[in-house]
Amino acid sequence: MSEAGLSAGSERRRRGLVTTAQVGIAVLFLAAWQGLTAVGWLDPFFFSMPSRVLVRMWEWVSTGYIWRHLAVTLWEALLAFLLGALLGVIMGFILARIRILAEIIEPYIQMLNSIPRLILGPIFTLWFGLGVASKVAFGVTIVFFIVFYSTYQGVREVDAVVLNNARMLGASERQLLRHVLIPSALSWIFSSLHTSIGMAIVGAVVGEYLGAARGMGYLIAQAQGVFDTTGMFAGMVMMALAVLVVDYLVRQLERRLLRWKPAAGGAWQADAS
Amino acid sequence: MTVTTPSAAAREGVPAIRLRGATRTFAAASGSRYTAVQDVTLDIDEGRFVAVVGPSGCGKSTILNMVAGLMEPTSGTVEIYGERLQGINPRAGYIFQQDALLPWKTVIENVMLGLILRGVPRKEARAQGMAWLERVGLAPFADRFPYQLSGGMRKRVTIAQHWVTDPDILLMDEPFSALDVQTRQMMEAELLAIWSGSRKTVMFVTHDLEEAIALADEVVVMSAGPASRVVGRYTVDLPRPRNLMDIRMEPHFMELYGEIWSRLREEVLKSHERSRALGRQ
Repeated sequence: MSEAGLSAGSERRRRGLVTTAQVGIAVLFLAAWQGLTAVGWLDPFFFSMPSRVLVRMWEWVSTGYIWRHLAVTLWEALLAFLLGALLGVIMGFILARIRILAEIIEPYIQMLNSIPRLILGPIFTLWFGLGVASKVAFGVTIVFFIVFYSTYQGVREVDAVVLNNARMLGASERQLLRHVLIPSALSWIFSSLHTSIGMAIVGAVVGEYLGAARGMGYLIAQAQGVFDTTGMFAGMVMMALAVLVVDYLVRQLERRLLRWKPAAGGAWQADAS
Repeated sequence: MTVTTPSAAAREGVPAIRLRGATRTFAAASGSRYTAVQDVTLDIDEGRFVAVVGPSGCGKSTILNMVAGLMEPTSGTVEIYGERLQGINPRAGYIFQQDALLPWKTVIENVMLGLILRGVPRKEARAQGMAWLERVGLAPFADRFPYQLSGGMRKRVTIAQHWVTDPDILLMDEPFSALDVQTRQMMEAELLAIWSGSRKTVMFVTHDLEEAIALADEVVVMSAGPASRVVGRYTVDLPRPRNLMDIRMEPHFMELYGEIWSRLREEVLKSHERSRALGRQ
Protein backbone atom coordinates (compact mmCIF):
# COMPACT_ATOMS: atom_id res chain seq x y z
CA MET A 1 0.00 0.00 0.00
CA SER A 2 2.69 2.47 1.03
CA GLU A 3 4.57 1.63 -2.11
CA ALA A 4 1.57 2.65 -4.21
CA GLY A 5 1.33 5.86 -2.18
CA LEU A 6 4.94 6.73 -2.82
CA SER A 7 4.72 6.15 -6.53
CA ALA A 8 1.37 7.88 -7.02
CA GLY A 9 3.05 11.12 -8.07
CA SER A 10 5.35 9.56 -10.61
CA GLU A 11 2.46 7.39 -11.80
CA ARG A 12 0.41 10.51 -12.47
CA ARG A 13 3.31 12.08 -14.35
CA ARG A 14 3.67 8.94 -16.41
CA ARG A 15 -0.04 8.93 -17.25
CA GLY A 16 0.19 12.55 -18.23
CA LEU A 17 3.07 11.83 -20.57
CA VAL A 18 1.21 8.93 -22.15
CA THR A 19 -1.92 11.02 -22.76
CA THR A 20 0.09 13.90 -24.19
CA ALA A 21 1.94 11.58 -26.53
CA GLN A 22 -1.28 9.88 -27.62
CA VAL A 23 -2.96 13.19 -28.46
CA GLY A 24 0.26 14.38 -30.08
CA ILE A 25 0.37 11.42 -32.46
CA ALA A 26 -3.24 12.01 -33.55
CA VAL A 27 -2.65 15.73 -34.13
CA LEU A 28 0.55 15.07 -36.05
CA PHE A 29 -1.09 12.46 -38.22
CA LEU A 30 -4.14 14.60 -39.04
CA ALA A 31 -1.98 17.67 -39.69
CA ALA A 32 0.26 15.72 -42.08
CA TRP A 33 -2.75 14.30 -43.89
CA GLN A 34 -4.45 17.68 -44.16
CA GLY A 35 -1.21 19.40 -45.22
CA LEU A 36 -0.14 16.83 -47.82
CA THR A 37 -3.55 16.81 -49.51
CA ALA A 38 -3.89 20.62 -49.31
CA VAL A 39 -0.62 21.22 -51.14
CA GLY A 40 -1.50 18.49 -53.61
CA TRP A 41 1.25 15.96 -52.86
CA LEU A 42 -1.53 13.50 -52.13
CA ASP A 43 -4.56 13.52 -54.41
CA PRO A 44 -7.65 14.45 -52.38
CA PHE A 45 -9.72 12.39 -54.78
CA PHE A 46 -8.12 9.20 -53.50
CA PHE A 47 -7.16 10.30 -49.98
CA SER A 48 -9.85 12.86 -49.12
CA MET A 49 -8.99 15.37 -46.36
CA PRO A 50 -9.56 15.36 -42.60
CA SER A 51 -11.52 18.61 -42.86
CA ARG A 52 -13.84 17.15 -45.46
CA VAL A 53 -14.29 13.95 -43.46
CA LEU A 54 -15.15 16.01 -40.41
CA VAL A 55 -17.70 18.06 -42.35
CA ARG A 56 -19.27 14.91 -43.75
CA MET A 57 -19.53 13.37 -40.31
CA TRP A 58 -21.17 16.53 -39.04
CA GLU A 59 -23.67 16.40 -41.90
CA TRP A 60 -24.52 12.80 -41.12
CA VAL A 61 -24.95 13.47 -37.43
CA SER A 62 -26.81 16.78 -37.73
CA THR A 63 -29.28 15.47 -40.32
CA GLY A 64 -29.70 12.25 -38.35
CA TYR A 65 -28.85 10.29 -41.49
CA ILE A 66 -26.22 8.20 -39.72
CA TRP A 67 -28.29 6.86 -36.83
CA ARG A 68 -30.41 4.30 -38.64
CA HIS A 69 -27.31 2.85 -40.28
CA LEU A 70 -25.33 2.78 -37.05
CA ALA A 71 -28.29 1.38 -35.12
CA VAL A 72 -28.76 -1.46 -37.58
CA THR A 73 -25.08 -2.40 -37.43
CA LEU A 74 -24.95 -2.34 -33.65
CA TRP A 75 -28.21 -4.24 -33.42
CA GLU A 76 -26.84 -6.96 -35.70
CA ALA A 77 -23.64 -7.07 -33.69
CA LEU A 78 -25.53 -7.34 -30.42
CA LEU A 79 -27.70 -10.18 -31.68
CA ALA A 80 -24.71 -11.99 -33.12
CA PHE A 81 -22.83 -11.56 -29.88
CA LEU A 82 -25.67 -12.76 -27.65
CA LEU A 83 -26.52 -15.74 -29.83
CA GLY A 84 -22.89 -16.71 -30.43
CA ALA A 85 -21.97 -16.33 -26.78
CA LEU A 86 -24.97 -18.32 -25.60
CA LEU A 87 -24.25 -21.19 -27.98
CA GLY A 88 -20.54 -21.03 -27.16
CA VAL A 89 -21.10 -21.16 -23.40
CA ILE A 90 -23.55 -24.06 -23.65
CA MET A 91 -21.35 -26.07 -26.00
CA GLY A 92 -18.26 -25.24 -23.96
CA PHE A 93 -19.84 -26.51 -20.76
CA ILE A 94 -21.20 -29.68 -22.33
CA LEU A 95 -17.99 -30.65 -24.07
CA ALA A 96 -15.81 -29.81 -21.06
CA ARG A 97 -17.93 -32.00 -18.77
CA ILE A 98 -18.39 -34.91 -21.18
CA ARG A 99 -14.90 -35.84 -22.32
CA ILE A 100 -15.93 -38.56 -24.75
CA LEU A 101 -18.22 -36.17 -26.62
CA ALA A 102 -15.40 -33.63 -26.85
CA GLU A 103 -13.10 -36.25 -28.35
CA ILE A 104 -15.68 -37.23 -30.96
CA ILE A 105 -16.59 -33.70 -32.00
CA GLU A 106 -13.18 -32.07 -31.81
CA PRO A 107 -12.07 -32.56 -35.45
CA TYR A 108 -15.37 -31.14 -36.70
CA ILE A 109 -15.05 -28.06 -34.56
CA GLN A 110 -11.50 -27.54 -35.75
CA MET A 111 -12.66 -27.94 -39.33
CA LEU A 112 -15.52 -25.46 -39.02
CA ASN A 113 -13.34 -22.96 -37.24
CA SER A 114 -10.74 -23.08 -39.99
CA ILE A 115 -13.20 -21.97 -42.68
CA PRO A 116 -12.44 -18.37 -43.71
CA ARG A 117 -15.58 -16.50 -42.67
CA LEU A 118 -15.64 -14.31 -45.74
CA ILE A 119 -16.53 -17.18 -48.05
CA LEU A 120 -19.59 -17.88 -45.89
CA GLY A 121 -20.97 -14.45 -46.82
CA PRO A 122 -22.55 -15.39 -50.15
CA ILE A 123 -24.11 -18.60 -48.83
CA PHE A 124 -25.56 -16.81 -45.80
CA THR A 125 -27.00 -14.10 -48.05
CA LEU A 126 -28.59 -16.85 -50.08
CA TRP A 127 -29.98 -18.62 -47.02
CA PHE A 128 -30.97 -15.69 -44.86
CA GLY A 129 -31.50 -12.88 -47.35
CA LEU A 130 -30.17 -9.34 -47.40
CA GLY A 131 -31.61 -8.35 -44.02
CA VAL A 132 -30.43 -8.59 -40.45
CA ALA A 133 -30.47 -12.40 -40.24
CA SER A 134 -27.59 -13.05 -42.61
CA LYS A 135 -25.34 -10.57 -40.77
CA VAL A 136 -26.23 -12.13 -37.43
CA ALA A 137 -25.45 -15.59 -38.77
CA PHE A 138 -22.16 -14.27 -40.05
CA GLY A 139 -21.25 -12.78 -36.66
CA VAL A 140 -22.32 -15.90 -34.81
CA THR A 141 -19.85 -18.03 -36.73
CA ILE A 142 -17.06 -15.82 -35.39
CA VAL A 143 -18.26 -15.15 -31.84
CA PHE A 144 -19.25 -18.74 -31.16
CA PHE A 145 -15.74 -20.12 -31.50
CA ILE A 146 -14.11 -17.45 -29.38
CA VAL A 147 -16.56 -17.96 -26.52
CA PHE A 148 -16.66 -21.72 -26.96
CA TYR A 149 -12.90 -22.13 -26.59
CA SER A 150 -12.75 -19.81 -23.57
CA THR A 151 -15.57 -21.60 -21.80
CA TYR A 152 -14.16 -25.02 -22.59
CA GLN A 153 -10.80 -23.97 -21.22
CA GLY A 154 -12.36 -22.30 -18.18
CA VAL A 155 -14.37 -25.33 -17.15
CA ARG A 156 -11.54 -27.77 -17.81
CA GLU A 157 -8.96 -25.80 -15.92
CA VAL A 158 -10.94 -25.05 -12.81
CA ASP A 159 -8.66 -25.30 -9.80
CA ALA A 160 -8.87 -28.89 -8.47
CA VAL A 161 -8.21 -27.76 -4.88
CA VAL A 162 -11.03 -25.21 -4.96
CA LEU A 163 -13.31 -27.84 -6.45
CA ASN A 164 -12.40 -30.39 -3.77
CA ASN A 165 -12.80 -27.79 -1.08
CA ALA A 166 -16.36 -27.09 -2.22
CA ARG A 167 -17.01 -30.84 -2.32
CA MET A 168 -15.80 -31.22 1.25
CA LEU A 169 -18.08 -28.38 2.27
CA GLY A 170 -20.94 -30.51 1.00
CA ALA A 171 -21.55 -29.29 -2.54
CA SER A 172 -23.62 -31.56 -4.79
CA GLU A 173 -22.83 -31.74 -8.52
CA ARG A 174 -25.41 -29.05 -9.23
CA GLN A 175 -24.07 -26.83 -6.48
CA LEU A 176 -20.55 -27.29 -7.83
CA LEU A 177 -21.78 -26.00 -11.17
CA ARG A 178 -23.32 -22.94 -9.62
CA HIS A 179 -20.68 -22.04 -7.03
CA VAL A 180 -17.47 -23.19 -8.70
CA LEU A 181 -17.66 -24.14 -12.38
CA ILE A 182 -19.73 -21.24 -13.69
CA PRO A 183 -17.87 -18.49 -11.79
CA SER A 184 -14.57 -19.99 -12.83
CA ALA A 185 -15.59 -20.18 -16.46
CA LEU A 186 -17.07 -16.67 -16.31
CA SER A 187 -13.65 -15.16 -15.78
CA TRP A 188 -12.43 -16.90 -18.92
CA ILE A 189 -15.49 -15.89 -20.88
CA PHE A 190 -15.03 -12.30 -19.83
CA SER A 191 -11.43 -12.33 -20.83
CA SER A 192 -12.68 -13.09 -24.35
CA LEU A 193 -15.45 -10.52 -24.22
CA HIS A 194 -13.47 -7.68 -25.77
CA THR A 195 -12.44 -9.85 -28.65
CA SER A 196 -15.82 -11.39 -29.24
CA ILE A 197 -17.77 -8.12 -29.14
CA GLY A 198 -15.26 -6.54 -31.49
CA MET A 199 -15.62 -9.53 -33.78
CA ALA A 200 -19.39 -9.34 -33.69
CA ILE A 201 -19.15 -5.76 -34.99
CA VAL A 202 -16.64 -6.78 -37.64
CA GLY A 203 -18.99 -9.57 -38.67
CA ALA A 204 -21.92 -7.16 -39.02
CA VAL A 205 -19.96 -4.61 -41.06
CA VAL A 206 -18.39 -7.16 -43.37
CA GLY A 207 -21.77 -8.84 -43.82
CA GLU A 208 -23.32 -5.52 -44.79
CA TYR A 209 -20.48 -4.74 -47.11
CA LEU A 210 -21.13 -7.98 -48.99
CA GLY A 211 -24.77 -7.18 -49.49
CA ALA A 212 -27.33 -5.16 -47.55
CA ALA A 213 -29.82 -2.32 -47.79
CA ARG A 214 -28.64 -0.39 -44.74
CA GLY A 215 -25.96 -0.38 -42.07
CA MET A 216 -22.46 1.02 -41.79
CA GLY A 217 -20.96 -1.59 -44.10
CA TYR A 218 -23.59 -0.71 -46.69
CA LEU A 219 -22.79 2.98 -46.28
CA ILE A 220 -19.11 2.40 -46.89
CA ALA A 221 -19.81 0.13 -49.88
CA GLN A 222 -22.12 2.77 -51.38
CA ALA A 223 -19.49 5.47 -50.99
CA GLN A 224 -16.94 3.19 -52.63
CA GLY A 225 -19.31 2.62 -55.53
CA VAL A 226 -19.28 6.33 -56.43
CA PHE A 227 -15.56 6.93 -55.61
CA ASP A 228 -16.57 8.97 -52.59
CA THR A 229 -13.43 8.56 -50.48
CA THR A 230 -14.65 11.17 -48.01
CA GLY A 231 -17.74 9.06 -47.34
CA MET A 232 -15.63 5.92 -46.91
CA PHE A 233 -13.34 7.56 -44.39
CA ALA A 234 -16.24 9.14 -42.55
CA GLY A 235 -17.91 5.73 -42.29
CA MET A 236 -14.75 4.16 -40.95
CA VAL A 237 -14.19 6.87 -38.35
CA MET A 238 -17.81 6.74 -37.20
CA MET A 239 -17.48 2.98 -36.84
CA ALA A 240 -14.24 3.31 -34.88
CA LEU A 241 -15.85 5.82 -32.51
CA ALA A 242 -18.79 3.49 -31.96
CA VAL A 243 -16.43 0.62 -31.16
CA LEU A 244 -14.56 2.79 -28.67
CA VAL A 245 -17.80 3.54 -26.83
CA VAL A 246 -18.85 -0.12 -26.81
CA ASP A 247 -15.43 -1.14 -25.57
CA TYR A 248 -15.63 1.38 -22.76
CA LEU A 249 -19.00 -0.02 -21.67
CA VAL A 250 -17.65 -3.58 -21.76
CA ARG A 251 -14.72 -2.56 -19.60
CA GLN A 252 -17.06 -1.04 -17.02
CA LEU A 253 -19.11 -4.23 -16.92
CA GLU A 254 -15.99 -6.35 -16.66
CA ARG A 255 -14.69 -4.27 -13.77
CA ARG A 256 -17.91 -4.82 -11.88
CA LEU A 257 -18.18 -8.54 -12.50
CA LEU A 258 -14.53 -9.46 -12.06
CA ARG A 259 -13.82 -7.31 -9.05
CA TRP A 260 -12.66 -10.41 -7.16
CA LYS A 261 -9.62 -10.56 -9.41
CA PRO A 262 -6.44 -8.74 -8.51
CA ALA A 263 -5.89 -5.97 -11.05
CA ALA A 264 -3.10 -7.11 -13.31
CA GLY A 265 -0.52 -4.38 -13.85
CA GLY A 266 -0.37 -2.51 -17.13
CA ALA A 267 -1.81 0.48 -18.87
CA TRP A 268 -5.27 -1.05 -19.32
CA GLN A 269 -5.92 -1.28 -15.59
CA ALA A 270 -4.01 1.83 -14.60
CA ASP A 271 -7.03 4.07 -15.07
CA ALA A 272 -9.13 1.96 -12.71
CA SER A 273 -8.97 4.41 -9.79
CA MET B 1 -28.29 -34.23 6.73
CA THR B 2 -24.64 -34.29 7.68
CA VAL B 3 -24.22 -32.54 10.98
CA THR B 4 -25.26 -35.35 13.25
CA THR B 5 -24.10 -36.09 16.72
CA PRO B 6 -21.96 -39.19 16.99
CA SER B 7 -24.16 -42.25 17.05
CA ALA B 8 -24.59 -44.43 20.10
CA ALA B 9 -22.07 -46.84 18.67
CA ALA B 10 -19.49 -44.10 18.48
CA ARG B 11 -19.80 -43.36 22.15
CA GLU B 12 -19.23 -47.01 22.93
CA GLY B 13 -15.71 -46.90 21.61
CA VAL B 14 -15.97 -47.32 17.86
CA PRO B 15 -13.11 -45.21 16.47
CA ALA B 16 -13.97 -42.05 14.57
CA ILE B 17 -11.60 -43.07 11.80
CA ARG B 18 -10.54 -46.59 11.01
CA LEU B 19 -8.30 -47.54 8.12
CA ARG B 20 -8.05 -51.24 7.46
CA GLY B 21 -5.36 -52.46 5.14
CA ALA B 22 -5.83 -49.36 3.04
CA THR B 23 -3.66 -49.41 -0.08
CA ARG B 24 -3.64 -46.87 -2.86
CA THR B 25 -2.02 -47.41 -6.22
CA PHE B 26 -1.72 -44.91 -9.02
CA ALA B 27 -1.17 -45.54 -12.71
CA ALA B 28 2.08 -43.81 -13.62
CA ALA B 29 2.53 -42.13 -16.98
CA SER B 30 4.86 -44.84 -18.24
CA GLY B 31 2.15 -47.46 -17.74
CA SER B 32 3.76 -48.82 -14.61
CA ARG B 33 1.98 -48.62 -11.30
CA TYR B 34 3.01 -46.62 -8.29
CA THR B 35 1.89 -47.60 -4.81
CA ALA B 36 1.66 -44.55 -2.60
CA VAL B 37 0.53 -46.18 0.62
CA GLN B 38 0.37 -49.86 1.40
CA ASP B 39 -1.64 -51.74 3.95
CA VAL B 40 -2.24 -48.85 6.32
CA THR B 41 -4.16 -49.91 9.38
CA LEU B 42 -4.92 -47.18 11.84
CA ASP B 43 -7.61 -46.38 14.40
CA ILE B 44 -8.19 -42.86 15.59
CA ASP B 45 -10.55 -42.42 18.53
CA GLU B 46 -13.08 -39.67 18.69
CA GLY B 47 -11.82 -36.37 20.04
CA ARG B 48 -8.16 -37.18 19.51
CA PHE B 49 -5.67 -34.89 17.84
CA VAL B 50 -3.43 -37.14 15.78
CA ALA B 51 -0.46 -35.90 13.80
CA VAL B 52 0.87 -37.91 10.87
CA VAL B 53 4.54 -37.34 10.07
CA GLY B 54 6.86 -38.83 7.52
CA PRO B 55 9.43 -37.90 4.93
CA SER B 56 8.16 -35.91 1.98
CA GLY B 57 6.49 -37.99 -0.70
CA CYS B 58 5.44 -40.70 1.75
CA GLY B 59 1.76 -40.55 0.87
CA LYS B 60 0.55 -38.63 3.90
CA SER B 61 -1.83 -36.62 1.72
CA THR B 62 -3.07 -39.83 0.11
CA ILE B 63 -4.21 -41.06 3.51
CA LEU B 64 -6.05 -37.80 4.17
CA ASN B 65 -7.68 -37.93 0.75
CA MET B 66 -8.89 -41.46 1.43
CA VAL B 67 -10.36 -40.44 4.79
CA ALA B 68 -11.95 -37.42 3.09
CA GLY B 69 -13.48 -39.68 0.47
CA LEU B 70 -11.86 -37.71 -2.34
CA MET B 71 -9.95 -40.86 -3.22
CA GLU B 72 -10.97 -44.47 -2.83
CA PRO B 73 -8.48 -47.02 -1.54
CA THR B 74 -7.45 -49.48 -4.23
CA SER B 75 -7.86 -52.17 -1.62
CA GLY B 76 -8.76 -52.13 2.04
CA THR B 77 -11.40 -49.94 3.64
CA VAL B 78 -11.99 -46.68 5.41
CA GLU B 79 -14.60 -46.64 8.15
CA ILE B 80 -16.02 -43.50 9.71
CA TYR B 81 -17.73 -44.08 13.05
CA GLY B 82 -18.03 -47.73 12.16
CA GLU B 83 -19.57 -47.20 8.76
CA ARG B 84 -17.74 -47.93 5.56
CA LEU B 85 -17.01 -44.72 3.70
CA GLN B 86 -18.33 -44.37 0.17
CA GLY B 87 -18.02 -41.09 -1.68
CA ILE B 88 -17.26 -37.83 0.09
CA ASN B 89 -17.00 -38.05 3.86
CA PRO B 90 -19.87 -35.83 5.02
CA ARG B 91 -18.60 -35.63 8.59
CA ALA B 92 -15.17 -34.24 7.71
CA GLY B 93 -13.81 -30.80 7.05
CA TYR B 94 -10.58 -30.50 5.09
CA ILE B 95 -7.99 -27.76 5.39
CA PHE B 96 -5.88 -28.06 2.26
CA GLN B 97 -2.23 -27.20 2.00
CA GLN B 98 -2.86 -24.91 -0.97
CA ASP B 99 -5.22 -21.97 -1.18
CA ALA B 100 -8.68 -23.43 -1.40
CA LEU B 101 -10.96 -20.43 -0.92
CA LEU B 102 -13.31 -19.59 -3.76
CA PRO B 103 -11.63 -16.50 -5.19
CA TRP B 104 -14.86 -15.03 -6.59
CA LYS B 105 -16.59 -14.99 -3.21
CA THR B 106 -15.88 -12.51 -0.45
CA VAL B 107 -14.48 -13.69 2.87
CA ILE B 108 -17.90 -13.88 4.53
CA GLU B 109 -19.46 -15.59 1.50
CA ASN B 110 -16.69 -18.17 1.64
CA VAL B 111 -17.32 -18.84 5.32
CA MET B 112 -21.09 -19.04 4.75
CA LEU B 113 -20.76 -21.43 1.82
CA GLY B 114 -20.92 -24.72 3.73
CA LEU B 115 -24.07 -23.58 5.52
CA ILE B 116 -25.70 -22.29 2.33
CA LEU B 117 -24.99 -25.63 0.66
CA ARG B 118 -26.82 -27.32 3.53
CA GLY B 119 -29.83 -25.10 3.01
CA VAL B 120 -29.34 -22.80 6.01
CA PRO B 121 -31.14 -19.48 5.36
CA ARG B 122 -28.78 -16.71 4.25
CA LYS B 123 -29.40 -14.49 7.23
CA GLU B 124 -28.62 -17.18 9.73
CA ALA B 125 -25.64 -18.43 7.72
CA ARG B 126 -24.30 -14.89 7.68
CA ALA B 127 -24.68 -14.51 11.42
CA GLN B 128 -22.89 -17.80 12.10
CA GLY B 129 -20.20 -16.94 9.58
CA MET B 130 -19.62 -13.54 11.15
CA ALA B 131 -19.35 -15.15 14.58
CA TRP B 132 -16.59 -17.37 13.24
CA LEU B 133 -14.81 -14.52 11.52
CA GLU B 134 -14.95 -12.74 14.87
CA ARG B 135 -13.31 -15.76 16.48
CA VAL B 136 -10.44 -15.87 14.01
CA GLY B 137 -10.10 -12.08 14.24
CA LEU B 138 -11.10 -11.32 10.66
CA ALA B 139 -14.52 -9.71 11.07
CA PRO B 140 -13.29 -6.37 9.65
CA PHE B 141 -12.26 -8.18 6.46
CA ALA B 142 -15.62 -9.85 5.85
CA ASP B 143 -16.28 -8.06 2.56
CA ARG B 144 -12.79 -8.36 1.13
CA PHE B 145 -11.88 -10.86 -1.55
CA PRO B 146 -9.33 -13.60 -0.81
CA TYR B 147 -6.66 -12.02 -2.99
CA GLN B 148 -6.71 -8.98 -0.71
CA LEU B 149 -5.64 -11.01 2.33
CA SER B 150 -2.26 -12.35 3.43
CA GLY B 151 -1.51 -16.08 3.37
CA GLY B 152 -2.04 -16.40 7.11
CA MET B 153 -5.37 -14.60 6.96
CA ARG B 154 -6.54 -16.79 4.11
CA LYS B 155 -5.71 -19.86 6.20
CA ARG B 156 -7.73 -18.48 9.09
CA VAL B 157 -10.68 -17.95 6.73
CA THR B 158 -10.34 -21.56 5.54
CA ILE B 159 -10.39 -22.79 9.12
CA ALA B 160 -13.51 -20.74 9.84
CA GLN B 161 -15.03 -21.94 6.56
CA HIS B 162 -14.84 -25.57 7.63
CA TRP B 163 -15.32 -25.14 11.35
CA VAL B 164 -18.59 -23.24 10.90
CA THR B 165 -20.20 -26.39 9.49
CA ASP B 166 -19.29 -28.18 12.71
CA PRO B 167 -17.71 -31.32 11.24
CA ASP B 168 -16.92 -34.21 13.60
CA ILE B 169 -13.59 -34.78 11.91
CA LEU B 170 -11.05 -32.22 10.76
CA LEU B 171 -8.43 -33.18 8.23
CA MET B 172 -5.49 -30.84 7.87
CA ASP B 173 -2.81 -31.22 5.23
CA GLU B 174 0.28 -29.26 6.22
CA PRO B 175 -2.00 -26.28 6.70
CA PHE B 176 0.65 -23.90 7.97
CA SER B 177 3.63 -24.97 5.90
CA ALA B 178 3.42 -21.95 3.59
CA LEU B 179 3.43 -19.44 6.47
CA ASP B 180 6.39 -17.73 8.07
CA VAL B 181 7.57 -19.03 11.44
CA GLN B 182 5.92 -16.42 13.66
CA THR B 183 2.57 -16.50 11.88
CA ARG B 184 2.75 -20.23 12.04
CA GLN B 185 3.14 -20.33 15.81
CA MET B 186 0.24 -17.95 16.25
CA MET B 187 -1.91 -20.09 14.00
CA GLU B 188 -0.97 -23.26 15.85
CA ALA B 189 -1.94 -21.65 19.15
CA GLU B 190 -5.23 -20.44 17.66
CA LEU B 191 -5.96 -23.89 16.31
CA LEU B 192 -5.43 -25.51 19.71
CA ALA B 193 -7.60 -22.87 21.38
CA ILE B 194 -10.44 -23.54 18.96
CA TRP B 195 -10.04 -27.27 19.13
CA SER B 196 -9.77 -27.72 22.90
CA GLY B 197 -13.14 -28.61 24.33
CA SER B 198 -14.64 -29.16 20.87
CA ARG B 199 -14.32 -32.95 21.02
CA LYS B 200 -13.48 -32.95 17.34
CA THR B 201 -11.20 -35.57 15.91
CA VAL B 202 -8.25 -34.03 14.12
CA MET B 203 -5.94 -35.71 11.65
CA PHE B 204 -3.06 -33.34 11.07
CA VAL B 205 -0.47 -34.12 8.42
CA THR B 206 2.89 -32.39 8.67
CA HIS B 207 6.52 -33.00 7.86
CA ASP B 208 7.54 -30.94 10.88
CA LEU B 209 8.01 -33.19 13.90
CA GLU B 210 8.16 -30.28 16.35
CA GLU B 211 4.80 -29.04 15.17
CA ALA B 212 3.39 -32.56 15.41
CA ILE B 213 4.50 -33.07 19.03
CA ALA B 214 3.49 -29.57 20.11
CA LEU B 215 -0.07 -30.00 18.85
CA ALA B 216 -1.02 -33.66 18.99
CA ASP B 217 -2.09 -36.33 21.45
CA GLU B 218 -0.45 -38.91 19.28
CA VAL B 219 2.17 -38.91 16.53
CA VAL B 220 1.98 -41.50 13.75
CA VAL B 221 5.20 -42.05 11.80
CA MET B 222 5.01 -43.16 8.17
CA SER B 223 7.79 -44.95 6.33
CA ALA B 224 9.52 -43.53 3.27
CA GLY B 225 7.57 -43.92 0.02
CA PRO B 226 6.73 -45.63 -2.23
CA ALA B 227 4.42 -48.13 -0.54
CA SER B 228 4.69 -46.33 2.75
CA ARG B 229 3.00 -47.68 5.84
CA VAL B 230 2.71 -46.89 9.51
CA VAL B 231 5.98 -47.66 11.29
CA GLY B 232 5.39 -46.13 14.68
CA ARG B 233 2.77 -44.60 16.95
CA TYR B 234 3.80 -42.41 19.87
CA THR B 235 1.59 -41.01 22.59
CA VAL B 236 2.32 -37.39 23.44
CA ASP B 237 1.48 -37.10 27.12
CA LEU B 238 2.30 -33.42 27.47
CA PRO B 239 -0.37 -31.76 29.65
CA ARG B 240 -2.95 -29.42 28.16
CA PRO B 241 -3.50 -26.55 27.77
CA ARG B 242 -0.08 -26.19 26.22
CA ASN B 243 1.95 -23.07 25.93
CA LEU B 244 3.23 -23.35 22.40
CA MET B 245 5.66 -20.47 22.83
CA ASP B 246 7.80 -22.36 25.30
CA ILE B 247 6.79 -25.98 24.95
CA ARG B 248 9.71 -26.78 22.68
CA MET B 249 12.10 -26.04 25.57
CA GLU B 250 10.50 -28.45 28.00
CA PRO B 251 12.59 -31.52 28.91
CA HIS B 252 9.75 -33.97 28.26
CA PHE B 253 9.14 -32.42 24.85
CA MET B 254 12.78 -32.94 23.96
CA GLU B 255 12.67 -36.47 25.28
CA LEU B 256 9.69 -37.28 23.04
CA TYR B 257 11.32 -35.51 20.16
CA GLY B 258 14.48 -37.59 20.53
CA GLU B 259 12.53 -40.81 20.73
CA ILE B 260 10.34 -40.18 17.68
CA TRP B 261 13.11 -38.56 15.67
CA SER B 262 15.32 -41.63 16.01
CA ARG B 263 12.63 -43.57 14.16
CA LEU B 264 11.70 -40.85 11.70
CA ARG B 265 15.35 -40.16 10.92
CA GLU B 266 15.81 -43.62 9.40
CA GLU B 267 12.87 -43.01 7.08
CA VAL B 268 14.05 -39.56 6.12
CA LEU B 269 17.46 -40.94 5.22
CA LYS B 270 15.91 -43.77 3.23
CA SER B 271 13.69 -41.33 1.38
CA HIS B 272 16.68 -39.15 0.65
CA GLU B 273 18.67 -42.10 -0.69
CA ARG B 274 15.80 -43.17 -2.92
CA SER B 275 15.29 -39.78 -4.45
CA ARG B 276 19.02 -39.48 -5.07
CA ALA B 277 19.01 -42.89 -6.72
CA LEU B 278 16.14 -41.76 -8.92
CA GLY B 279 18.08 -38.64 -9.77
CA ARG B 280 21.05 -40.70 -10.97
CA GLN B 281 18.97 -42.85 -13.32
